[in-house]
Amino acid sequence: MNFRKRTLGMLGIATAVILATSACSGGLLGGDSGGGDDSGPIKIGMIVPTSGSSAPTGASMANGAQMAVDEINAAGGILDGRMLELQIEDGACDAQQAVASANKLVSSGIVASVGGYCSGATLPTLPIFNKAGVPMIIPAANSQDLVKEGLKNVFLINGTGLQQSTAALDFIKKQGYKAIALVDDNTSYSVDITTETGSQIAADGSATVALDTSVNAGESDYSSVVRDIMGSGADLLYWTGYYQEGGLIIDQLKKAGYTGDIMVADGSADSTLAEIAGAAAEGVYATMTPTPNTIKGAEGWIADYKAAFGEDPKPYSTQSYDAVRLAAAAFTAAGNTNTDDVIAALEAISGFDAFSGPLSFTPEHTLASGGFVILVMKDGDFVLFDNLQ
Amino acid sequence: MAQIIWDGLFVGSFYALIALGYSMVYGIIKLLNFAHGDIYMVGAFIGYTILTSLGGSFQALGLFALILVMMVSMLLTGTIGVIVEKLAYRPLRGAPRLAVLITAVGASFALEYGVAAIASPNPRGFPVRLDGETVFVLGARVTVPQIILMLIAGVLMFALDRYIRKTSTGRAMRAISLDMKGSLLMGVNVNSVISRTFFIGSALAGAAGVMAGAYYGKIDFLMGFIIGLKAFTAAVIGGIGNIRGAMLGGLLLGLVEAFGSELVGGQWRDAFAFAVLILFLTLRPTGILGERVTERV
Repeated sequence: MNFRKRTLGMLGIATAVILATSACSGGLLGGDSGGGDDSGPIKIGMIVPTSGSSAPTGASMANGAQMAVDEINAAGGILDGRMLELQIEDGACDAQQAVASANKLVSSGIVASVGGYCSGATLPTLPIFNKAGVPMIIPAANSQDLVKEGLKNVFLINGTGLQQSTAALDFIKKQGYKAIALVDDNTSYSVDITTETGSQIAADGSATVALDTSVNAGESDYSSVVRDIMGSGADLLYWTGYYQEGGLIIDQLKKAGYTGDIMVADGSADSTLAEIAGAAAEGVYATMTPTPNTIKGAEGWIADYKAAFGEDPKPYSTQSYDAVRLAAAAFTAAGNTNTDDVIAALEAISGFDAFSGPLSFTPEHTLASGGFVILVMKDGDFVLFDNLQ
Repeated sequence: MAQIIWDGLFVGSFYALIALGYSMVYGIIKLLNFAHGDIYMVGAFIGYTILTSLGGSFQALGLFALILVMMVSMLLTGTIGVIVEKLAYRPLRGAPRLAVLITAVGASFALEYGVAAIASPNPRGFPVRLDGETVFVLGARVTVPQIILMLIAGVLMFALDRYIRKTSTGRAMRAISLDMKGSLLMGVNVNSVISRTFFIGSALAGAAGVMAGAYYGKIDFLMGFIIGLKAFTAAVIGGIGNIRGAMLGGLLLGLVEAFGSELVGGQWRDAFAFAVLILFLTLRPTGILGERVTERV
């Protein structure tokens, strides 16, 4: 990618010198010309699910990102008045669709990516963006697998599965739960958290894993897992899948007479969970990064968001908003949009003012401070229960 | 044990209701109507829309409101089924089987994403929830709503069975499934009977949709996809084209799934159920009640 960018830079010079040649080279390189173009809008791409069952979350992430773009542009843009331009493509939480969208974004010349919700769909896009020299600031997807390969262009601004399971274990110890049922939905993100939590519980020894199982997403009847949980004698269920299935499992579990506590991971920490599970969702805990309505001083932001899009922000609206601002900050610090300079700028960022607190990266490109908190469902909405400090 | 059997039968009765539509349509025009699962979804959304627009005082009627809404929803989904047949399948009746299969897939996507566009892709909580007492039968935890829903499903299936076996339209349906051209020559109005088949099959799916919404509490535009595949499986197990077979197949699939998840763990349930299906069809390709069709040259 190094080589390509330098080539592009030289092409830029060539452009200035020989017009005819540059037109030809631009054609050969296709849409890559955006990276070497120093005047027009700065294109950033975002892959989020805008179809499929996670489409509502995708829309709220796109809104959050758009809001940041609009604010930055209204303030005069960056890098001497260049405007940001956000291109949103559908990832559908599906690996194939996400790869197609990533290729499309690369060929339309984006210089940074600020998308990524489902880890399973984000993972296969990493090599594509890496090869094209596109820095990725991933707002929501947080599987450990994303940083396992150590790709230089990948940055996670959501806490990772590891950080989340540490928070889960802290809470388990604090509340004194003894037997934990871990249930995931067989997706990369979800399995990541149950595996991490399971090994941390085993290493810690203050509680035991009573059940570790998976369900298939997209169904309505979860009576078999309900039977398993009831039979395991667990006093805490930790569900690490998404809210659609989570809501159904919680409802069916409570109907079957389960009296233990329930905790969900961040994929289920959405008020839709209460719409689906009804009264059964009351008192459900969640491991989650701070959401708009648990952050002090975010009321003004929430009002702006509502005014712009006519609905409440969802949990990842803030992180998508931050991803765009972070990209803009990196461009400004780098003074250009060249891959290596932007990556260096991101690595050097320290104390960036994000919703989740001051943001800086570890050498692995994950958040230096995880910032997971425990929320609890109260009157149909998640509110802060314990900040684990 | 009793709990596993009960859970299996309950899910199985949903499969059976939807499998009926698959089986009827296949029996008559040899078409795998992939849009059928989506009719179930549309039924749930129609139920949702009616219940929300009629407001709280109507919703307070509980079960009565639900049955009323279910009937309206059956009428509407039945009509949608007929329209889908008219628009997407009838013009291709003489076309190769594959062409119609693809239009069926197309109709399925059109319904799914049409609903997503109109009603937004957000999952919705159903406004009327069936909550009720829990009773223990032979150690199995059985809720009153489950019993009510199984009774409704049973009544619908019984009525359908009588309709097919005792009425002249039912006889016409059976005649067409044996030999469409022959029936036409004998003066059966083939088009109208096929329309009626689609109406009944779709109405049953619509009823199942409203019931699922009220019981599980969540509806979304993709809810028909997996259950559609499962119902299709149930129809094949029972012997596709055979009405009683579809009912049996649905219950059997529910039981196999329940026992499978108990034996080999929840995440293996579908793998187990479909392995059983492969084995079963190897040994008995025509399904439980399917009849061997002699090749006509």
